Amino acid sequence: MIKALPIAALCLLPLGAAAGVPEVIARDILPGTAGFAEATQALSEASDRDCTMPAMAAPYGAAFDAWLAIAHLRFGPLEEAGRDRAIAFWPDAKGFTPRMLTGLIADQDPVVATPEGFAEVSVAARGLFALERMLYDPQFAYGPDSYGCALTRAISHDLARMAGAIDTEWRDSQAGLMRDAGAPGNTAYLSPDEAARQLYTALLSGLEFNADGRLGRPLGSFDDPRPERAEARRSERSRRNLVLSLQALHGLARDLAGADIPLTDAAFESAIARAEALEDPSFADAADPSGRLKIEIVQQRVQAVRRAVEGEIGPILGVGAGFNSADGD
Amino acid sequence: MTTSRRAFMASLAASLAVPRLSWADAGSPAYLAAAREPDGGYALFGLSATGQDLFRVPLPGRGHAGAAHPDRPEAVAFARRPGTFGLVIDCVSGQVDKVLQSPPGRHFMGHGTFLAGGDILVTPENEYETPSGVLGLWSRRQGYRRIGEIPTHGIGPHEVLQISENVLVVANGGIRTHPAQGRDKLNLPTMRPSLAYVDLDGRLLDQVVLAPELHHNSIRHLSLGQGGQVAFAMQWEGDVMESVPLLGLHRLGQGAPLLAQADLAEQLAMKGYAGSVAFSGDGRRVAITSPRGGRLHVFDAAGGFLESHRRGDICGLARAPGGFFATDGQGGVWQAGRGGFVPQAGADRNWDNHVVAL
Repeated sequence: MIKALPIAALCLLPLGAAAGVPEVIARDILPGTAGFAEATQALSEASDRDCTMPAMAAPYGAAFDAWLAIAHLRFGPLEEAGRDRAIAFWPDAKGFTPRMLTGLIADQDPVVATPEGFAEVSVAARGLFALERMLYDPQFAYGPDSYGCALTRAISHDLARMAGAIDTEWRDSQAGLMRDAGAPGNTAYLSPDEAARQLYTALLSGLEFNADGRLGRPLGSFDDPRPERAEARRSERSRRNLVLSLQALHGLARDLAGADIPLTDAAFESAIARAEALEDPSFADAADPSGRLKIEIVQQRVQAVRRAVEGEIGPILGVGAGFNSADGD
Repeated sequence: MTTSRRAFMASLAASLAVPRLSWADAGSPAYLAAAREPDGGYALFGLSATGQDLFRVPLPGRGHAGAAHPDRPEAVAFARRPGTFGLVIDCVSGQVDKVLQSPPGRHFMGHGTFLAGGDILVTPENEYETPSGVLGLWSRRQGYRRIGEIPTHGIGPHEVLQISENVLVVANGGIRTHPAQGRDKLNLPTMRPSLAYVDLDGRLLDQVVLAPELHHNSIRHLSLGQGGQVAFAMQWEGDVMESVPLLGLHRLGQGAPLLAQADLAEQLAMKGYAGSVAFSGDGRRVAITSPRGGRLHVFDAAGGFLESHRRGDICGLARAPGGFFATDGQGGVWQAGRGGFVPQAGADRNWDNHVVAL
């Protein structure tokens, strides 16, 4: 039977943001964006004082730590102008980062002289992974008054600029848009549950990135393990990045659910404990059988977290996987 | 078995001679789109140019895309791949007038289109034992009797469009599937997608085959622009963390296609997946959607990247007078044009992958 429907505009009532959204913003996101802005500002200032590797190592590590608290929030301010890729260009499947850096250095490209100029450089030559190459890859070693030093400063300043913009945009607009999801005139979130759905999607995508990216890329296949693909292996941060990411995702899961989530808690605790127990900080042992087995076990635990989240938090929020993104044809 | 052009023209003349109901009787919808409703059921909707519901017809299961008759208020809704039925729906009464059944050893691919002013329906089909791609031809005037078929010259044909009286263009996705294994992809290491131009006698007039390093880029969806320009959207079966082009532009006889990409960060954000493609109403721009990346990317007709709009699970895409009309899996309906990216309507339902413009 055909049914005539009244012609109605947005017939969605502004019920206020669904479960957990204000809590996630207050407890997880805004402290995270502030922390990343502060840590990259410190990195930027450190590079001005002394751009060489020994002086930069600690502020670099602190900035990367701070990034992992928010790296999974790949929407809104993080996605603006491609910032998430410019901050963390990984994985670099085609080796763009060393190629672009080599080109800049060979040309002594003056684009490093101004923030506006450097902001237009390819995302592959910016951010934490470009900086890691400069600091930890011997082929890019540089001295205090070199082009490499100027490039390192430009990358550091650019990171601080992007982090500051992310923090400001979260406070000035994104947080309000999400709290007022479904309100009249809110074109970012058309209905109250869209904000919660976006955070839920970010949670699942973050888990997937850990399982398929941080763990899956160095694992490769049994016949073709690829330890050289481990994330941030040069700075020996592969394991640390995984653990910090899982901890941040656990915080997001708890605050988003706003209820007891015993299965999810147990799954996170198990995955984090197994990850912390991995012996090699840069997953170089992905190629030997016993090391590989332990990494695979962590990967399975992370996949178990995903299933726990889908079974426990999905129903609380009343959301499932994306209707089209999960189907695909 | 093939059908002669003379038979086409004769049936076209016959169909034009009989005045019957028109789309005006169904509220003059500008678009058709299927959706899942809050109760878990599915329905086909007729939408106005601004996304308002004009009619609703329940469907027995999840659809994919449909074919809209050019004049009559009649739509053919195809089951989601690997479905074997298509429903011919009277959009005025809401009745299913006819159920099309794919021949043994075949299934539909979720798409179809009308030819010859609406007298012939053409359906891409997977002949899965061979495997090969087939276009089924059905005569509407003869109660949707199957009157012939022609080869697609490739595997896994997904969408077909008519570009001139005697010429069709087919997206051969290149991926072998077999219904006994659901939607499992059986030949990824050797897949070889193509864009094939065939005439109605089944002859291959021209084809686009991608460079070897892009052989994992499944050519799936099509849109027709000005002067026979064809846009094709691709789905990457390689490493999703690589940046590859997802939009191609081509004309019959052109030679190599033009492959279009956004800047590196935006291209990576598409996650190797374009779900729909459409030219703008004026044919001067072309867009693709990625529900996985939550992106609508707009290019000029020469392949230059113009802009990106962000919206989770966005997929359905069609032309609009000032640009593009899009739908998403969260119930949103959007216009992208000179006024930016603007929500038109929202409803508590999940819009399915495609929108069909009338």
